[in-house]
Amino acid sequence: MSDLVIRVGHLFPELLNLYADQGNIAVLRRRAEARGIELQVKSIKLGMELKVEDYDFLLLGGGSDREQGIVGRALTPYRSDLQTAIEENMPILAVCGGYQLLGEYYELVSGERIPGLHLLEMVTKPGKGRLIGNIAVDWLEQNREFRKETIVGFENHIGRTYHDYPPLGQILEGYGNNGDDRYEGVQYKALIGTYIHGPLLPKNPHVADQLLRHALSYRGHFDSLHALNDSLEWQAHCAVLTQLGVKREKERS
Amino acid sequence: MGFEVTSVLKQWRSLFALWVGRSVGRILRLIGRRGTSLPGFLATRLSPDLLFHLLSQLQTCIIVTGTNGKTTTNALLYSILSSSESPWITNKDGANLVQGLLAALLPHVTSGGKLQIQKAVLEVDEATLPRIVDHFHPTMIIVTNVVRDQLDRYGEVDHALAMLRRGISYPGIQLIVNADDPLAASLGIGRELTYFYGMDECPIDRQERNEVKDGAFCLLCGREIEYTRTIYGQFGHYACPSGDFIRPVPEYAGILEKGIPELTVVRRKSGVEAERFRVKAPVLGLYNYYNLLAAVTVAQILGVSPYKIENALTNYEAPLGRMQVYSGRTKRILALIKNPTGANSILRTIETDELVKIICFAINDGDADGRDVSWLWDIDIESFLDQANCTQYYCAGHRALDMALRLAYAGVERERIVVLDTLSDIVTVTDEGQAPVYILSTYTALYPLGIHLREATQ
Ligand SMILES: [Zn+2]
Repeated sequence: MSDLVIRVGHLFPELLNLYADQGNIAVLRRRAEARGIELQVKSIKLGMELKVEDYDFLLLGGGSDREQGIVGRALTPYRSDLQTAIEENMPILAVCGGYQLLGEYYELVSGERIPGLHLLEMVTKPGKGRLIGNIAVDWLEQNREFRKETIVGFENHIGRTYHDYPPLGQILEGYGNNGDDRYEGVQYKALIGTYIHGPLLPKNPHVADQLLRHALSYRGHFDSLHALNDSLEWQAHCAVLTQLGVKREKERS
Repeated sequence: MGFEVTSVLKQWRSLFALWVGRSVGRILRLIGRRGTSLPGFLATRLSPDLLFHLLSQLQTCIIVTGTNGKTTTNALLYSILSSSESPWITNKDGANLVQGLLAALLPHVTSGGKLQIQKAVLEVDEATLPRIVDHFHPTMIIVTNVVRDQLDRYGEVDHALAMLRRGISYPGIQLIVNADDPLAASLGIGRELTYFYGMDECPIDRQERNEVKDGAFCLLCGREIEYTRTIYGQFGHYACPSGDFIRPVPEYAGILEKGIPELTVVRRKSGVEAERFRVKAPVLGLYNYYNLLAAVTVAQILGVSPYKIENALTNYEAPLGRMQVYSGRTKRILALIKNPTGANSILRTIETDELVKIICFAINDGDADGRDVSWLWDIDIESFLDQANCTQYYCAGHRALDMALRLAYAGVERERIVVLDTLSDIVTVTDEGQAPVYILSTYTALYPLGIHLREATQ
């Protein structure tokens, strides 16, 4: 593979940067470079035009309530472009506030509703207390079959999110979407929305690689990615599982 | 009648709590344990009003708050003020919640409940500040800065700012605030009895760094603030393009020159220079010069002369983890890190040491550290690596692996990253070398490390 490029649009990093999305980008970049793929990251800031067709991958991070409101308004004109791209399997990673923004609205404790982009039939409501802590989930296929792989990280959110799409995973330890239905995140086509940060990708190299594969195939390349030495990554991943008391046979070599 | 009974009961309760707190404090001292909040903890449980009962007896009370630099500013200020004739009370060791404040006051209370010393300079956690100020109005509040810190404890920066705003909302309190931090400065705009301090000149501006600027947006109109000069993190000279918010001209301006460990202070009256003097710096690092400037500003407002300030500071000793140096066979420097801005400023200080060096990270995720360690990814390791001149990186603590991954994805070769099993390994693995060892530690790793390092240098 040579002169392969993945064009990443990082949406409003100046507003949505609460949970170290730079970490997610650093992971994508290094893992792409190790396979001879260049990751071109462009920041789309407030006031700039968003040409969805210029990108192969979009990243939407977390922010405070105030900032989420600003981003929601700024993205509204691009709603239908985004919808089309999602239907065409464009990979999007949306974390925390960015995840909530994908839905119809995000209701604050005050009762005020911050309108979302309504790209998914999904709502977020306030709950009692923050859902904070380390989290581990079983990664589910979109047909709700287990992939026999775990995803770990940290969650910290007050909003409770409800939807009927396939979740990203089933909770092993932690709260997830709403603390009730034992599910975490959402998967729709190549889009992943999640409350897991920490950030998400450093300790979940398999998720990072899946996103890279989606981005490549969105561009029309279907090569496989060769394996990397991820011993440090899996050591960190397993440390979270151990700390949470999650015992699982690992199917990984 | 009913009111009198309750108030008498309250007073008895306070006195009883006081007695318990003092007795426990004495016992702990006898058995050789110091620096704990336990007496204060017991006393608050018995009487929540005790603290306010004691604070109200103070004639002068100075409160130091903000995200970073509280402990150092407080310690610098205490060493200036306590050199005067009359004694001051302080909570030197950074115990800045209600119990810590009580623990600082209790040793100075008579059995009848009277404070024997009427002046105090206290570091107060920004979340605790409103609780205190609702009941008791201090003479002065210093806000060092407002940056992202321990997200899971406070929610978000907006929340921290709201708490501070409530804390300073009572008229009659003097506010001393950092003009170079747009978030902190916003607290003082248009407020009476407010003094600003800030750096007018600084020998840096090497490159626009990839740091997170929490104050990058105007709180009045929401537009991105423009910097004419960045100093570090969100600190700098700035203005909102709408013209509604601009860095205030500081009444106390600092001037730093490259390579000279001195702070020149310019005092302005109605915007015009009234006095200029120099203070030798007893601290390392640009961020500590801000703390020094804050302390000097307050001392000046209280009428302490430049000569006395300079003299008093020669006896200053850095509190635990504020870049204090352990010199043994191997020179080790211990620094507390708790958020990206603080960590970046320490890395920038380490860069100025041109020797080949070793860096250790001790990262825990206890409640006092912040359980969420995503902030490690906001530390600007990448631009540090160009200047680092560092041969080996060690990572220890509960979150050693998170830090190791952070370094690996910043571009450090994996063979140069060593994950250690225990904190004390930091001392053993670095014991024989010539290279200075910088140890960057989160809060709960700091005390055990301090003990290991002291033992190693004995
Ligand atoms: Zn403005």
